[in-house]
Amino acid sequence: MAVATLPHAQTADHGEVDRLYAETRDLRLNGFLLFLVSDVVLFSSFIFAYLYMRNTGQGWPPPGINRLDVAFAALNSVVLFGSGATMHYALENWKHGNFGRYAGLMVATIVLGAMFLCGQGYEYTTLYFREHVSWAGSGIFGASFFTLTGMHGFHVFVGVWYLTVLLLQSVHGVYTKQKYFGLTAGTLYWHFVDVIWVVLFSIFYLI
Amino acid sequence: MTVAAVHGGGIADHIHPEPQSFIRRYIFSIDHKIIGIQYIITGFVFLVLSGMLAELIRVQLMHANGGLVSNDTYNEIYSVHGSAMVWLVIIPLVTGGFGNFVMPLQIGARDVAFPWLNMLSFWMFPVAGLMLFSSFLIGAPVAGWTEYPPMSLQAGPGTSMWCAAIFLIGVSSTLTGINFLVTILKMRAPGMTFTRMPLFVWAQLATAPLSMVATTALAAALAALFIERQFGVPFYDPTKGGSPILWQHMFWFYSHPAVYIMILPAFGIISEVLPTFSRKPIFGYKMIAFSSVAIALAGFMVWAHHMFTSGLAPFLQLPFMILTFVIGVPTGIKIFSWMATLWGGKIHFTSSMLFAIGFLALFTFGGITGILLAAVPFDFHVHGTYFVVAHFHYVLVGGSLMGIFAGTYYWFPKMTGRLMNEFWGRLHFWLFFIGFNGTFLPMHWLGILGMPRRVPVYDPQFQGWNQFESIMSFVMTLGILIFFANLLVSIRNGKKGGANPWNARTLEWQIPSPPHYYNFKNIPAVYALPYDFSEPLPYTGLENELTDSPAPATAGAH
Ligand SMILES: [Cu+2]
Repeated sequence: MAVATLPHAQTADHGEVDRLYAETRDLRLNGFLLFLVSDVVLFSSFIFAYLYMRNTGQGWPPPGINRLDVAFAALNSVVLFGSGATMHYALENWKHGNFGRYAGLMVATIVLGAMFLCGQGYEYTTLYFREHVSWAGSGIFGASFFTLTGMHGFHVFVGVWYLTVLLLQSVHGVYTKQKYFGLTAGTLYWHFVDVIWVVLFSIFYLI
Repeated sequence: MTVAAVHGGGIADHIHPEPQSFIRRYIFSIDHKIIGIQYIITGFVFLVLSGMLAELIRVQLMHANGGLVSNDTYNEIYSVHGSAMVWLVIIPLVTGGFGNFVMPLQIGARDVAFPWLNMLSFWMFPVAGLMLFSSFLIGAPVAGWTEYPPMSLQAGPGTSMWCAAIFLIGVSSTLTGINFLVTILKMRAPGMTFTRMPLFVWAQLATAPLSMVATTALAAALAALFIERQFGVPFYDPTKGGSPILWQHMFWFYSHPAVYIMILPAFGIISEVLPTFSRKPIFGYKMIAFSSVAIALAGFMVWAHHMFTSGLAPFLQLPFMILTFVIGVPTGIKIFSWMATLWGGKIHFTSSMLFAIGFLALFTFGGITGILLAAVPFDFHVHGTYFVVAHFHYVLVGGSLMGIFAGTYYWFPKMTGRLMNEFWGRLHFWLFFIGFNGTFLPMHWLGILGMPRRVPVYDPQFQGWNQFESIMSFVMTLGILIFFANLLVSIRNGKKGGANPWNARTLEWQIPSPPHYYNFKNIPAVYALPYDFSEPLPYTGLENELTDSPAPATAGAH
């Protein structure tokens, strides 16, 4: 029978702080990933609702509503995916100690995220004023489209602010080359928002 | 910053300084033990309130013509009774309550992974409860705990309040699920492999992903209902292209797994109580552990068995029926394992054990009527009748609530250092057990005869049995009142129990009662299952727990 051994008490030293950091980072990373999992379920439920309603209706888009503008949305998607790439390289540069390049890439990510939101705002206003499609007034089309893309847009909005806070924090020395859990979480969140958009783009614009 | 901590169990061994002020200690506490007790107290308060609503229902049904409350009020009463029992009593008690108090102790940890988040989860719970009950002031929900549209779309403003309250308790449940999952996966004492975990921990491990995933799906359904009610955005209204059936899919995708959120932790409690009081190793440890996981997974694939009469396509009815039958298999394995644990054991009939044995009987019965209901032809006959009411009360009251009582008698000495009175405990059991069966057993045949649920008045031919049920429900309530009196008196005047009054073998019984703030002086090492009663305890590092040796050093703020 394998007998687990109890490690002996350690005296306080500088390694202790790093060790505590490593351990709590592990926990927080797990917790954050699980939070993202439950967020995926939230989106999945609404996506299920959308597909369900779409299947029970009379064709899609429903009579009286035009197809969405795929070209513009595709352009906007490129902006968002671009921000995913800059985010990725921002974190890589941080890990390698290139803090200047990190800051530049972070700014690029934040700007691209904000551009995506502006694009979405433009799309919403066009739909509302030119096509007279609205959240409550266009049946299940308006309900599903604006709820899901709005939820996603809200996530991008939160993300833009979150990344801004992270950037300010890193400028003020909250993170070091070894201890940067916040940046990891921010990157994960931003990629998560990207992946959700891939799905939403496919089910609203492509099929 | 200096950090001086004795590290034996990795992250599990990180000690925060003990808070000194009353508020940080007992109100906004981050200690899992205090939070667990807070959950239990709050859950019991809501149990009293929901129980009062139940008695209003029973008094109304004393006469075929009703007469106690108006029809609308009757709808409000049973809707809030059901919602409160599910979301404010059973789920918080078995996960937030016992899960919080017992699970970290059983895995040899000092707290859960995210203590601050734990406090946040707890405080959402009383707020959500107040919101739900205050909906009576503005016209409470009237469409039952399931709140099917279109009725829930047409009802008064209290239904929106209901959505918000259940959404909030759902967020709390999701956060607790995340917290527990990380805690169990990452913070077990050295040597506690998965197959050495106590079965209560296994039950919490199987439940946590359910509260995380299923509850989020419910949140989406609730958000859509709220948006539709407040802003007129069509999801469920068929006149605007929406679908009321969509709600049923989303609701039951949560609410069938929610049955397991309510019952799996109770299984865990039973799996601790039975071996302790029969002085025998639990039979089929791995089968009990893995069947919890099997039940949790399969629980996601059976939701539409609630919708056989909602126009579900016949080709879908069959798979949902068969999958539901399949869940009976792991459940049956558990029941057989528990029976085998009792078989030939030296059984101590403590109050806790009585409730555990009562659980076995009533839950098995409720499980069998569940299998009956899963059969499409039978369901067509009894859907929406009292047969369904009888079935789920056997599972949730005869099952989960009895499990909660068993757990309360079992762990009360650990929480307070004192024992609950055994005489009143046994009286509680017998009154409750007899009263419960008297109340709910006749509902089976009333349902088969066609008495519909959720009606304030009914066919006079059913009046005799209904009067019998109401009288028996008073017996059951008397039992619960005795329980609460016993609980309150025992906190101050109960017999001192010491560290381990039951001679139990899991880790929480090897430390003082109530445990110190830091739980363990040293994080123990574990080298076997806790259930082998003929062997010495499978732990090392516990030598100082019951002595006067000094407390471990705490880590500074960082
Ligand atoms: Cu079900």
